[in-house]
Amino acid sequence: MSSEPIERRVTYIGDRLKGSRCLICGREYFKIRRYCGVCGRKSFDRMEDMDLFYEKGVLEACTVIREPTNKFRKIGSYIYGLVSFHNGKVRVPGRLTDLILKDDKDVDPANFEDREVAPRFRRRYAVEKDEIIPTISLTFTFADEYYPHQEYKITKPKKVYENPGIVGYGVYTSRFRIKEGMMERSVPFIDEDAITAAVEAGKMAFIYSGVDHSQVGKVYVGSESNPYAVNPIASKVAQVLKIGEEERSEGIQGADAIDTEFACKAATSVFKDAMTLVYYPKTPTKYAMVIGADNSQAASREEPGGELDFFVGFGGSAFIFGMEDVIAEIEGWYSCSSDTPDFWRRDLEPYPRHGGRFTGEPAYFKHIVKAGRKLMEKLNLKPGDIDYFVCHQPTPTWPTKAAADLGFKQEQCILGLQVAKLGNTYSCSSPLGLAAILDKAEPHRRIMVVSYGSGAGSDAYSFITTSQIKEKQNNQKFTVEYQAQNKYLEYVDYATYRRFKEGL
Amino acid sequence: MRKALSTIIGVGRTKFGEHFELDHEDLIEEAGLVALGSAGIERKDLDACYFSDYFLQITNKVGIEEGFMSQLLEIHIPMEKMRSFSSAFVNASNAIQAGKYDIVLVGGVEKMTDRLDKIRDDLMLLEDPWSFYTGCTPEANHELLLREYIKKYGISGDSIENLNIALAQISVKNHRYASRNKYAHLQRAVSLEGVLNARISAHKTLGLYDFAPISDGATALILANPKIAKNYTDMPIEVLSSSSATDYITYPSREDRAGFMASRIAMEKALRMADLSIKDIKISEVYDQSTMLEMISLEDLGFSRRGRAWIDLYKSLEDFKGFYDLEGRVLFVNTDGGLKADGNPLGATGGAQIFEVVNQLRGECGERQIEPDGGLLYGCVHEIEGFGTKAYVHILGRD
Repeated sequence: MSSEPIERRVTYIGDRLKGSRCLICGREYFKIRRYCGVCGRKSFDRMEDMDLFYEKGVLEACTVIREPTNKFRKIGSYIYGLVSFHNGKVRVPGRLTDLILKDDKDVDPANFEDREVAPRFRRRYAVEKDEIIPTISLTFTFADEYYPHQEYKITKPKKVYENPGIVGYGVYTSRFRIKEGMMERSVPFIDEDAITAAVEAGKMAFIYSGVDHSQVGKVYVGSESNPYAVNPIASKVAQVLKIGEEERSEGIQGADAIDTEFACKAATSVFKDAMTLVYYPKTPTKYAMVIGADNSQAASREEPGGELDFFVGFGGSAFIFGMEDVIAEIEGWYSCSSDTPDFWRRDLEPYPRHGGRFTGEPAYFKHIVKAGRKLMEKLNLKPGDIDYFVCHQPTPTWPTKAAADLGFKQEQCILGLQVAKLGNTYSCSSPLGLAAILDKAEPHRRIMVVSYGSGAGSDAYSFITTSQIKEKQNNQKFTVEYQAQNKYLEYVDYATYRRFKEGL
Repeated sequence: MRKALSTIIGVGRTKFGEHFELDHEDLIEEAGLVALGSAGIERKDLDACYFSDYFLQITNKVGIEEGFMSQLLEIHIPMEKMRSFSSAFVNASNAIQAGKYDIVLVGGVEKMTDRLDKIRDDLMLLEDPWSFYTGCTPEANHELLLREYIKKYGISGDSIENLNIALAQISVKNHRYASRNKYAHLQRAVSLEGVLNARISAHKTLGLYDFAPISDGATALILANPKIAKNYTDMPIEVLSSSSATDYITYPSREDRAGFMASRIAMEKALRMADLSIKDIKISEVYDQSTMLEMISLEDLGFSRRGRAWIDLYKSLEDFKGFYDLEGRVLFVNTDGGLKADGNPLGATGGAQIFEVVNQLRGECGERQIEPDGGLLYGCVHEIEGFGTKAYVHILGRD
């Protein structure tokens, strides 16, 4: 499909699984319809919008596909079938994703049928490198396995805070891992990329927070692995997650959407922008969302820059900032930057390069320690006043050393240290650590997060958790710990890992 | 008093298969000339032409098919182009019935091997875009239909085994018929083990020998006003009814997925129009794009009871006598080898199905001529477009 208008129309329906329901007879349709086929003319203007994006379906019948059409060839064998929603009121075709089927094994469809499935937002199929990347949510995974089906319930805020802060957050990492030595890393399935991770993370943040998606005024997506050089991830996130007031007739979302880039601090940099935006009294921006998502890139091991290949992960984390029902209030921040070219990727190059040992002391450690110290000075804090510390995690050893340099003890850092389980998720790395802390933190605890972005700079933030964090923690099954230690994880070999990362 | 809508006075076709050396024009020319010859007429006798091809515009980037024919035949009569042979046939028959034309050529052609590398993507996208976007293949829906059938009728254990064998035997039967059909794409016999092994080696419920091949080919026939048919042939074949029905493009969205509603409606209407009962039909060409479709079509057309066709087939094919024994009723099905072995050049396929029934009714089928008790008076042709999206049924009869 090389027609952009067709792509837009298919994506508009397929990414969110939009449909219509007849207000007269209740019949449901996948795809938006202006009238009901049964009720006919009298149903004009009596159709309501519905969508299946957060719903749970049932895989009614399926078959294994061993010889896909050309566009699906890279996926290999997969399960294709039909999925019903709302007790069979509406049925759609569906492909099971996150599933590696061996070509030499029999598959009994009966083992897959009648099981509950959740829609997943994925790349649709392979296209040429210069084409629009097609996406769809007619891909499904079992609702009782790695990715649990969770309802999205919009809740009315109860309390307004004096300071802005985190209202909710979500983390998404894939169900595949590569394990080498002691280190495990998240590996995308072949139909995933930074765009799909950003959408999944945002979805999780809405599920956790119960924030009304139409009240979010701006979404920022920080990434260094956007598959496009030009074309934002944020506009896709805004459209799929219906961020801002919807102008339905035109298919427009009334929200600002912007991508940011600064190596691994692309997301944390704009935490403060998001918070000042929701704090500014003259604009009606109730919430702002910041997402960091990366399919962290690395050249293969024998090539320059290949050292990264031992550490890169895949994931997205999303934070919603606001003034109501805050779970962690902002206490202060400090950012610094310098022209230190320790890690870079020129345009049109597929993989980043880095400056070897130069990325250490004069880059990573210098900026993290500077930002951390300055923020403590500003807020008049000592390391002992801080309950949890987390910083950017490119390897398992560096964040430990940076924390020690700042005077933190191991127990202050342990909760946020996730790199050994999930790998370096680039823009998602320190936010993911922050999320892991928020998953477990008690109320009234101080958290310091310090990011690092090559090129180079750091953002340090101090948050203090509120009493509301406890109730919201129950809203999320898909916690960082759940993802890091899950019985449904599947471990892949090096060749598969490279192939999956390369994607469709 | 039964009244013919129109009359077939001549039929023609090419061999189906891989015609790498021929263009679509060459194929349709060959089939057309045979049909004209068999009716004993010249091209100047034609009042109009109705052509069909499913997707020559995609496979061969052909724009205006009719223009090729005009240039080739040096005729300037009205020509129309439809998507399936049955569609062209119905429209031509309607025009004759309306009195607009007296003699019409209906021709179908497809050139699928010219685009072998992309053909499954094209076929699937045309069959249903949303299923294509989700990863469906041209074969997958047949297997889904089989799953829906098994689930709906609660078939389990040994019965599933027998169902699978019955489906495999359909392929064996169709290949056996095709070995006596000089026009067939696949003229060799296959064994039951061969069909089953193809499934086993692919780790699939339906294998290579369960599906019709990708074929090139052309077919043609001459339709005439019944009043003048006798001027051209001693044995005109009457078109007693010709009907069609339509269903959703997306198979998973349909309410009943253990069969094709379009086939059922088309057959009911066709029988009513022809004033015949199902018992009068002794031969049927059904649209066996897969062995599964031959089986399900027997139910959809009313030859077998719903949920029972596999039992009828299993019993009939265990010790095959050339026809299906449908609870005591005799029915010959796909005596040319069906789409499975005769071949399936989409726009031409329906023409080959009609070709077979016409020749059987005329008693001109040579070694595969059937001779049911009580004689052969009526035959039925069933064609489908897409995956049950459109169904056509034509009932033909001897004068």
